[in-house]
Amino acid sequence: MKVRDVEHAVLPRATADERSRQNAVVSLRRLLNSRVRPRNVEMYEAEGAPAFAERHGRQPQSHEDVREAFLMSPGYRMWSAANRSAQEMIWVSVGEPTYRDLERMEQATKELIEAEEKLGSLSLDPSYDPSPEVAAVDIHLQPGGYAMNRSDYDVVSGALYECGGNVFSFGQGIGRGDSKAGVIMRLLNEEFDGFKPAKMLDIGCSAGAASAAYPAEWPDVEIHAVDLGAGMLRYAHARAESLGVAVHFHQMDASAMNFEDESFDLVVSHNLMHEIGEEKRRAMIRESFRLVRPGGIVIHQDVAIRNQPTLVHEIERDWDTHFNGEVHWNTYATANLTADMIAAGFPEDSVIEHDLSALHGMANNRWYAISGRKPL
Amino acid sequence: MTDQAQAIAALIESARGQRPQSLDNREAEETLNIALALLVELSVANDKIDRLERVVAEMRGEDVATLRDIRYEGEVAEQRQDATDALLMRALRVLIDPRAQANDKASD
Repeated sequence: MKVRDVEHAVLPRATADERSRQNAVVSLRRLLNSRVRPRNVEMYEAEGAPAFAERHGRQPQSHEDVREAFLMSPGYRMWSAANRSAQEMIWVSVGEPTYRDLERMEQATKELIEAEEKLGSLSLDPSYDPSPEVAAVDIHLQPGGYAMNRSDYDVVSGALYECGGNVFSFGQGIGRGDSKAGVIMRLLNEEFDGFKPAKMLDIGCSAGAASAAYPAEWPDVEIHAVDLGAGMLRYAHARAESLGVAVHFHQMDASAMNFEDESFDLVVSHNLMHEIGEEKRRAMIRESFRLVRPGGIVIHQDVAIRNQPTLVHEIERDWDTHFNGEVHWNTYATANLTADMIAAGFPEDSVIEHDLSALHGMANNRWYAISGRKPL
Repeated sequence: MTDQAQAIAALIESARGQRPQSLDNREAEETLNIALALLVELSVANDKIDRLERVVAEMRGEDVATLRDIRYEGEVAEQRQDATDALLMRALRVLIDPRAQANDKASD
């Protein structure tokens, strides 16, 4: 199933000018990513490191030194300022149609949620207070953050996430036909003998694009999906119902979920690990081990920013921590995830890190995943 | 239905946190942001002009390249040149503003 650029009832209906604006931001970001950002390390060597050496009488050594040296390069600073600006314009370009069309979107959501016959379900927990380490931050500068919940039928956070995610991804050179769920299904086919679950869980599902892609490909699968934001889940549920796929959405914390032990054949997460701190990530991985049945598989997929060749490359990649609201970006990038999986209970020989090519888009687009299998 | 300016204001007002600066100078950073936003708006306008050119070419039953190759001479050409000169004067006003040059002389 196509997961990007999918038409459904709760998607903001953008005007021609709004679509042009989103395309312009995609093009601006694509230029910055493909033509300007690749020069950052060169700028560091040519401008940043010499300026640092002149000021301090020594070469940059530590994380802090390298970061300071980067910011002493005018070329890097201009890219950084332009990239932050482009990131903010993503949200303006999708926020205008969202707020302009919100009344219609909320009405469509209400009708889909209250329909007599539904394929999936939505369980919100009014007593749950979304974890502040995620809810209190405008992650990747999404205004209001993941847990914004303005009213009983509010869907702003979900709409911003889906539409902004498309503008962001296309600007990264990720193809319109790419799909994180598709990459995991391909991995299961190629590396796990075509493993197909009867019951699965998607942790940290956000606007539900991946959650809806699995049952579209495997119509018999019973899929449950968890996120912390009521507005995000409401949007995800209405989106799935509008697309005609059955997904059961639940408002829960990824580090403490209310499912019985060993409930699922397959547990996945998509782009979750880089959004949470170390303690919550480890608890989430422990939960994934608890919830998968013996013989079942757990796959945590995320962005391919790990294993940078040098400290300079690592700090260059760490821009998002300081300028893009991705406060756990470097924590994820440098974490020993294999150790986390083993500590959660997965046998060492079952834990595998995967460097995965995207399904579609620029040839160098990759995804990271780590998998483990619970012993029988 | 919310109007466009209200929709943009709602989005902007919902943002939280600090705005870290990359450039040494805040005024320069904010000016760069305005310039990039105008670049995006120019792209939107170009997209609209392109769309209209294609619609007009179709209505005239001619190729869009033919429509774009229309050239003007005489009075119309002069009016068009004047419009271009005026646009440049508006955009580059500060470079020829005598008050800016007076500042330079005063600081010498």
